[in-house]
Amino acid sequence: MGIDELFIVPGRSRDDESKSVATLVRQWADREIIAKRLEYHQGYPALFREKMKDLALSIGLQRMAVPADLGGFGWNTPERASDLLDVLIEAGRADASFGVLLAMNYALFSSAPVSGPSDGGSLIKVLSETFSSDELVMPAIVLPGPGHAGQTTALFKSRSILARVRSAGGDSFVHGSRLRPLAAGHDAGLFCIVCADGNDQPGLAFVAGDAGGIVRSGPIVTTGLNACTNAEITLDDVKIPSEHVIDSPGAVESLYSRLGLLLGGVSLGAGLNFFEILQNWCGSRVIKGSSLLKENPLCASVLADVAEELSLTNLLLHDLAGLMAQSQQSGPMDETALFTYAGMIGSRSQQAVMRAINRGLELMGSAGYAKEWHAEKHWRDVKTIQSLMCGVAAETPVKMDTARFFFSCSQV
Amino acid sequence: MKHFDDFSRPLEYISPLDKHFRAVLRKYIEQEVMPYRRKYDEDWKEHKLIEPAFDKLMGELGLQKSLFPQKYGGWGLASSDYIFRMAYMLCEELGRADTGMAVALAVTFWPLLVILVEPYVNERLLDEFAPMFCTSKKAVFAANAMTEPQGGSDIENMGLLKGRTIHTTARLDGDEWVINGHKLWPTNSGGVSKLFGVPCTTRPGSTDINDFAFIYVPADAKGVTQGGPYEKAGMAADKNGDIWFDNVRVPSWYRAHGPGRDAEAFYQLISFGQVASVAFMTGAMANLYERLYEFVSTRTFGNRPLKENDAVAGIIGRIAGDIDICRILGHEAAMMGDRRNKPYGLPLISEEVVGKIRNIKDFVSDRAVENFGKAMDILGCYGADREWDIEKHWRDVKIVQLWMGGKQLCQMESARYFFNCETI
Repeated sequence: MGIDELFIVPGRSRDDESKSVATLVRQWADREIIAKRLEYHQGYPALFREKMKDLALSIGLQRMAVPADLGGFGWNTPERASDLLDVLIEAGRADASFGVLLAMNYALFSSAPVSGPSDGGSLIKVLSETFSSDELVMPAIVLPGPGHAGQTTALFKSRSILARVRSAGGDSFVHGSRLRPLAAGHDAGLFCIVCADGNDQPGLAFVAGDAGGIVRSGPIVTTGLNACTNAEITLDDVKIPSEHVIDSPGAVESLYSRLGLLLGGVSLGAGLNFFEILQNWCGSRVIKGSSLLKENPLCASVLADVAEELSLTNLLLHDLAGLMAQSQQSGPMDETALFTYAGMIGSRSQQAVMRAINRGLELMGSAGYAKEWHAEKHWRDVKTIQSLMCGVAAETPVKMDTARFFFSCSQV
Repeated sequence: MKHFDDFSRPLEYISPLDKHFRAVLRKYIEQEVMPYRRKYDEDWKEHKLIEPAFDKLMGELGLQKSLFPQKYGGWGLASSDYIFRMAYMLCEELGRADTGMAVALAVTFWPLLVILVEPYVNERLLDEFAPMFCTSKKAVFAANAMTEPQGGSDIENMGLLKGRTIHTTARLDGDEWVINGHKLWPTNSGGVSKLFGVPCTTRPGSTDINDFAFIYVPADAKGVTQGGPYEKAGMAADKNGDIWFDNVRVPSWYRAHGPGRDAEAFYQLISFGQVASVAFMTGAMANLYERLYEFVSTRTFGNRPLKENDAVAGIIGRIAGDIDICRILGHEAAMMGDRRNKPYGLPLISEEVVGKIRNIKDFVSDRAVENFGKAMDILGCYGADREWDIEKHWRDVKIVQLWMGGKQLCQMESARYFFNCETI
């Protein structure tokens, strides 16, 4: 059986468009990426960009979340969360770097405030034009993270906000030193930066990559996501239109929620391809000179752990997408609840996929460690995403968010 | 607690040479490895940076001759009663900087231990091979060519399989062994080694340990072909590749000891390898502590240093506790090895020693893999950065968990000893 039959989710109505997009990405991944991985060993970054153009421009995933009336597919509404999740699982199955770039793109559009006319009709138009371009546009998101000892910063739920935004003369000015995007900082054409205003309130500032006053560091060497090279950015009072700042309550929470879902999908996709690699390995290698690995009870129990982690993650992420679809309706699902659930499920999903790959590698031995088999790449990529989503302090921030919501903690 | 040296180790276990050698080695590591190690990953194929460091460590400093008797110019450690503990110290110190370097050095000793450690000493072979290591100022490597394509780590599962799945054959033809087979993944292959120790069978499919042979093969022998190094997730200083033996002929006396004793001497290597593995990981975790200490002291959550947040302190406290416990266990494993010839000790080939040392390796592997992963998460958006060194160790220690039969073989050896399992 294939992964579709094995990793099931509760039924939902999917329209023909969503089915066909996911199928298209699956076919592209199988034909253009997975079948050619050994060929891509040399010169991968350049090839990645070329293939990303196929995915983003030819297939059109770059404008998937652009509103329909502005030239896109219109998948920017909460009801489309499940469809975006499916697409990102397929993209992550090919290469997590594709998925991360798309996840950041979709998170910007799915962020509720940008779609509201009163909050930024102009911004949504600029974003739509940017991502409807015939050129590949890499977005980069800067979230709050660790602060520096001895310095007091504005906080977003205890995470340090290292960028500032101020208004003057009808414009806004963004300032921040050595900010760390989630990914793609080196080549990003658009930055979305969590900033604090004069009252230490968090908001989102959208800054064009070519804006004057942005200085990027050299490429940062990281363990994974090597195709979307990261860099630190320093902004020296970079001027942006005031309507490119979103300071409405819940905007940052919304961004976190979407990233929790979408990056969870990317990691799950990588995990599912790892599952396929492991399936192949355990169905073709023997242990003790006779039995297939998968027929040895101890190995089978490890395989069961892998399957359990991935299948339950799949269920949880689709549940989260369902909660997001409900969030538009009146009821108890307010932004804080969604933020909390997305944090819990996002964190658990990353950890579960990581556990699945870590355990599966135990059975592949040295082959799992060799670049030839590609298992190790998924392992490095997912670990990178997982650590990024921690922001700082491992799971502590999410645990504090959870405790605040469920137990009304006010000091943590 | 301010320094990684303060992590516990039973002081009565420390060898008399520990303090001196550790100081010399650490100085070398600080000067020759630490400043360059972040560039080792890109040097995996050429070893332009790594090779000079090895030359200084193994050749100039002389570690490659340390096991050999003094009559060859060596330091005589193999005949001491603290070889395991000295090996532990060496592997731990190197592991702190780079586990790839540590394993490349340790594995050079590995095949030689088969003929160096009482009661399995072969003077004639030592006369033959010792000069190669004791007279060179350049690094000279050796390798244990064990793993085969069809069986993975079955070869390390001697307790159950007794060499039954080995496909590499040795046939006696006059006064020469003729060897045929294909090995893959040995540390120090990929064109590095000058000498291979080759486990093979004189009767394919046999479960009689008398048919197991351990034969030395010079890398330049006719019929030996080596592939290039594999590209891996980490461990760049350790090259691995394929080796083919095509009607390779070596003198008959290149067999280590002969029927029965070859298997026993080879089986001793399992415990040496496991103790070294533990040392690589506790060394790496000592460096984890150093780097994590800096991060949690200088970066904040809620505008307070990370280490001053109770929830974070809970995590880093557990990590430190694990390092402390693992180091104690590592020294216990080393001492188990060094008790082998004592009246109160057990031979290295006993099920008890094999099972208990494998248990410690399995436990420490799990703690290392988890703690490096957790430390990366504490660093959050910086966790994947090469600059913080933790991600490199995270990549490196994973293969330590996987090799030599990995977690599952450790569990089986433990079950065999503690529950008298007979068929698994």
